[in-house]
Amino acid sequence: MPPARSYKAQKVIDRFQQKLNRQAMLSLAACVHCGLCTDQCHYVLANPGDPTYAPAYKADRLRKLFKAHVDWTGRLIPRWVGGRSVYSDEELEELKDVVFGKCTNCRRCSLNCPMGVDMASFNRLARGLLVHVGVMPEGVAVVAKDQWEIGNQMGVLKEDYLETLQWMEEELQSEYNDPSIRIPVDKRDAEIVYAINPREAKYDPRTIGEAAAIFHFAGENWTMASEGWDMTNFGLFNGDDELGAACAARVYDAVEGLRGRKLVVSECGHGYRSTRCEGPNWARRDLKFEMESSVVTMLRYIKEGRIAVDKTRNPLPATYHDSCNNARSCGMTEEPRELLRLVTTDFREMYPNRAENFCCTGGGGAMSMSEYAPRRLKSAKVKADQLRATGAKVVVTSCHNCVDGLFDLIRHYKLDMQVKLLVSLVANALTPPERRIKRRPLEGFRILVIDDEPDVRIYLSKLFEENGCAVTDAPDANQAMRAIRAQPPDLITLDLVLPKKTGEKLYWELKKDERFARIPIVVVSGYAAIDHPKIDFHKFIAEKALPPPEGFLEKPVDVEKLIETVHQSLLESRFSG
Amino acid sequence: MTATAATEPIEKTIHRSALRLERGDLTQLEVDAIVFYAKETLELGSGFGGAIHARGGETIKKELAALGPVAVGEAVTTTAGRLPAKWIVHACGPKFQEPDMEAKLRRCMLSALRAAEERGAKTIAFPPMGAGFYGVPLERCARAMLEAIREFLAAGGALEAIVVCVADRREYGAFRPLFEGL
Repeated sequence: MPPARSYKAQKVIDRFQQKLNRQAMLSLAACVHCGLCTDQCHYVLANPGDPTYAPAYKADRLRKLFKAHVDWTGRLIPRWVGGRSVYSDEELEELKDVVFGKCTNCRRCSLNCPMGVDMASFNRLARGLLVHVGVMPEGVAVVAKDQWEIGNQMGVLKEDYLETLQWMEEELQSEYNDPSIRIPVDKRDAEIVYAINPREAKYDPRTIGEAAAIFHFAGENWTMASEGWDMTNFGLFNGDDELGAACAARVYDAVEGLRGRKLVVSECGHGYRSTRCEGPNWARRDLKFEMESSVVTMLRYIKEGRIAVDKTRNPLPATYHDSCNNARSCGMTEEPRELLRLVTTDFREMYPNRAENFCCTGGGGAMSMSEYAPRRLKSAKVKADQLRATGAKVVVTSCHNCVDGLFDLIRHYKLDMQVKLLVSLVANALTPPERRIKRRPLEGFRILVIDDEPDVRIYLSKLFEENGCAVTDAPDANQAMRAIRAQPPDLITLDLVLPKKTGEKLYWELKKDERFARIPIVVVSGYAAIDHPKIDFHKFIAEKALPPPEGFLEKPVDVEKLIETVHQSLLESRFSG
Repeated sequence: MTATAATEPIEKTIHRSALRLERGDLTQLEVDAIVFYAKETLELGSGFGGAIHARGGETIKKELAALGPVAVGEAVTTTAGRLPAKWIVHACGPKFQEPDMEAKLRRCMLSALRAAEERGAKTIAFPPMGAGFYGVPLERCARAMLEAIREFLAAGGALEAIVVCVADRREYGAFRPLFEGL
């Protein structure tokens, strides 16, 4: 007698039989367990003694179900062919741990498969089965609900999105001293409707401004949409085809409603794949407009002479990370390289690359699943080794998801590297005739420097003033509090070692006081190192349940990194506030 | 056909009450009460819950803290903070293929309508209840919602206007034929 089956397990089996298609069945039937896929996986490389990370093992979890319920051999002789059903909710939780927590759906394991098995397609299928009965990581649920109900996967409200576009437009007009620069919204009959990743609107709106500058100087007739502007699609990650269809349809509806002639999607691997390749099938739509990646658009502008670029503006050695979805799933490998060579002086290839590139380890929705972060970062070692071997100072990618994945692993493995998108390099290399001197990055802001060493206070104050902002300083926590109460600054740089009251204590007081809790704080200290025995700031904030600081830099400070950190923190604070 | 033309509002009269299908943003509607498809714990969470929190303010969360948990099929009411509506009805419905989906959805709808009426609301707006993230198939959701609304009005429910607020063409397309058949 087989054990009693839980309600959810039965629903999973019913759904499995409904969702099986020819591609999945072939992949499920074809594996011969040769093991050639094993060392293609970044999880396996980081966990060599653990067979549960092997792609064939992971795939077998679904294959056993297939054998038990679909394949005729399994129905006759289930034990001989490895057929096994699922019975309990605990087994569904175990399956969740495998399909969400041990695979990023990067499809690298399929490269060497002699049978052409596409493991990621049925890993996605398994995710979809679990999501159907509500079994998924909490972060996946949060993002999916946002995308279903708000229309974008970061829950950016319409007024915030429109305000951000307005803000970026004003920044551009000021930067280029050109009031004619616009970020058009809902303009009908435009040549291009530009759709973005909501990460741009929520965390890094500079890329919207950069793209807008490129469109402007190319003389493009373009627009953004007030609705249906999110070209990302969490349905690709959580295996929910209905969500995939709904997201894609909203973008297509926006383009058709505005009578746009071409949809250009900004740099996002899974967004590009979902919108351009998978979306028409999910949404069952026959589209009358063209679609292209903004990488192709930017390259075209340069080749057609519509924008001029000066590659010497990007002199740092740069390498390129191929997004799995762009390169392996959609074949976009040469256009970004061609573009990169046009806008940088020192491009270095990373090995292996193109379709064989390793995942950034943040793919497949991994960045939304915080419970698996230690596993993810451990598996990122191969990517860190790849990056380190290039000697590059900048890793360029064409995917917002990869930006976050790479940023995390760079910090974890202490690589001396920045992450940039192609749009940032192209915008930085732009040489429009009317280009004026750029606004200084910190212009219009007020910063409070807290440090007990007079030389450091003078140095930092001068540095910030040179970058355009007003600065006050304080040598200890009490004077700092008085200054903050008198006039709250836009940002604080904080030394941890202060006389009388420590920087940690001051940090705690500020974060607990709702009047000042939102002031971004960048810790700049000789004792700021994460593993320094004297002061364990990270342990302190964890124990006190305080939010992390916006920046965390060790003395002696890297000036470029400091200005960038401060600038970024100010921008994010201005937006979120 | 443009997206706007494909989602034009449609209105029917049932037992002297107006039943309207329109595309829009639920939390921005100027009605007396909006309905939020709630969890048993009454946590607002992401999606519409995030929008309610961001646009409506902290008071809604504070009121909810004293009201939960609720069972599937039940509804509770809070004020709506800074939202244009006066009240939010937090109605707890079935999730992720749980058994007796339609019956639970019907109970949840009726609870929401009665809760709004008890507060003195004259107009109320619903999202497609349980469709989307919680996996209630859109067609079943539309049928169950409209049947519950008809049942409520037939029993003398006094709401003047009931709005079904959809987010896109896909949702609109599921409700429209049922509205036309009323």
